[in-house]
Amino acid sequence: MNEPCKCSVKELSQQLKDKKISVRELTEVFLKRIKSEADKTNSFLTVCDQLAFKQAEAAQKIIDSGNGSVLTGIPFGIKDNICTQNVKTTCASKMLEDFIPPYNATVVERLLKNNIVILGKNNMDEFAMGGSSQTSYFGGVKNPYNLSCVTGGSSGGSAAAVAAGLCPVSLGSDTGGSVRQPASFCGVTGLKPTYGAVSRYGLIAFASSLDQIGPIARSAEDCGIVLSAIAGKDANDSTSQHVSDVDYCSKLGNSLKGLTIGLPKEFFDDGVDNDVKTAVLDAAKRYEEMGCTIKQVSLPSLKFAVASYYLISSAEAASNLSRYDGIKFGYRSTNGETYEEIIQNTRVEAFGDEVKRRIMLGNYALSSGYYDAYYNKAVKIKARIKDEYNQIFKTCDCILTPTAPTVAYKIGQQENDPVKMYTSDICTVTVNIAGLPAISTTCGYDKSGMPIGMSIVGRAFDEATIISVADAFEKNFERKGAEI
Amino acid sequence: MFDIELTRHLAQLSKFNFSEEQLKVMSDEMADIVALMDTVSEFESDEKLACDNAVGFEDLREDKVVESFERESILQNAKGRGETYFKVPKVV
Repeated sequence: MNEPCKCSVKELSQQLKDKKISVRELTEVFLKRIKSEADKTNSFLTVCDQLAFKQAEAAQKIIDSGNGSVLTGIPFGIKDNICTQNVKTTCASKMLEDFIPPYNATVVERLLKNNIVILGKNNMDEFAMGGSSQTSYFGGVKNPYNLSCVTGGSSGGSAAAVAAGLCPVSLGSDTGGSVRQPASFCGVTGLKPTYGAVSRYGLIAFASSLDQIGPIARSAEDCGIVLSAIAGKDANDSTSQHVSDVDYCSKLGNSLKGLTIGLPKEFFDDGVDNDVKTAVLDAAKRYEEMGCTIKQVSLPSLKFAVASYYLISSAEAASNLSRYDGIKFGYRSTNGETYEEIIQNTRVEAFGDEVKRRIMLGNYALSSGYYDAYYNKAVKIKARIKDEYNQIFKTCDCILTPTAPTVAYKIGQQENDPVKMYTSDICTVTVNIAGLPAISTTCGYDKSGMPIGMSIVGRAFDEATIISVADAFEKNFERKGAEI
Repeated sequence: MFDIELTRHLAQLSKFNFSEEQLKVMSDEMADIVALMDTVSEFESDEKLACDNAVGFEDLREDKVVESFERESILQNAKGRGETYFKVPKVV
């Protein structure tokens, strides 16, 4: 039997079914590892020992009765912007430092119906705003491949936890790349579903037209297993779509012969590191050997994508974060005499710098005199990008790109330069703008052994294809383990 | 042009009570960020594009009365509260 901390969800599920290990034993293994190793990466903000053992007991009864699903008894991490009833949910912010949700997010409810075990809440960039997981009020997250490097973000805690064997799977959220990019930096697999495939009810909002919850796991197959459990229409989220009862693993093992994969030339220019380009192009060759056709395509509006994304997402964030005023929940300043002073001081004292910058940018883009030049223009660019993707998908089944222009960089190297951070999102944001699904999987390592990720982008609601394409590569690629 | 007065105006819209020093720092940072956002001015728009950021609201749920949250669970996270209400400083 393989060591549990190195196993996939599928492998662990089989071990539980075959009674090679009990749910309690499995839970103990991961909790023990979290206790001894989690501090090295700072990937967990809350660990739920007692809850986990209670859930383990319930899961074991279900397995013993023969009624378990593939996820029954599987330990999960949950990003700390996803509401978990009676378990602190902080968004890695002073603003919600002691916030305890009175309800579960829909995705959590759906996983609990499968009797999973929640190990704890994963660290992240504050309010999901960032690409390094260094803006957390509770300290940055460190990369298990090199503890002096960032994990990427904002779901850096989730990615680091999976890479370090602290949990086999975690739920993250992706607004501009926040599942895919940390998955790439930490050498694991991360899936951003089509906008609307997964309910956002209980996901603490950042940008409501872009946010999606997605799994980070050790394999594309595991991502498909989790997506099958969490996707589908939710009465509490009117943007969710009717995609329940879809088996996202249905195309696994199918031949890729005849599949056309597009390579947009703009994703392979001077802004992308040579190691990254080489690894992704090598992966393209492997797909050709599997019988795929590789086709050069173009996304000319890529050069406007970062600006469009930041204008739209910040505008929505400025609106969404206006609820944090210290009145009904969250941090409340003790400075100030009037209602207005309390609110203003609360927000200045409890939001971090990046959050403040984005709120300011959002209000700038929406304010009188600037709305047309910025927000409206950004929306037009969004429409153009959607159109360009539609054109590509007329002749391609999926698209292959680097997930990020670089590998994980050293902590302190660029996180304090907002412009540099924003431009690093160039490879991921168009997928959110267009509302499409994409999966990042490891396709190589640079000279210093840091993971390189590639993204496979699919048509709307065609997660099954991109999962199978990623899986085909993974089955023939040997990953290197993390340092811890 | 991103100057202190614009920063002060946006801080007011954003409900931030910045000190003069914080305003200066924010003003400099925002100037750099807005310079990046200015890329959008080079985009030539096509009138035929469906320029709409609205999300589709389909299949709205039935408008019926269901159980809501217990009052205590809603009040439990408030820093200022009475037994059945939120307590705030004087508004008027």
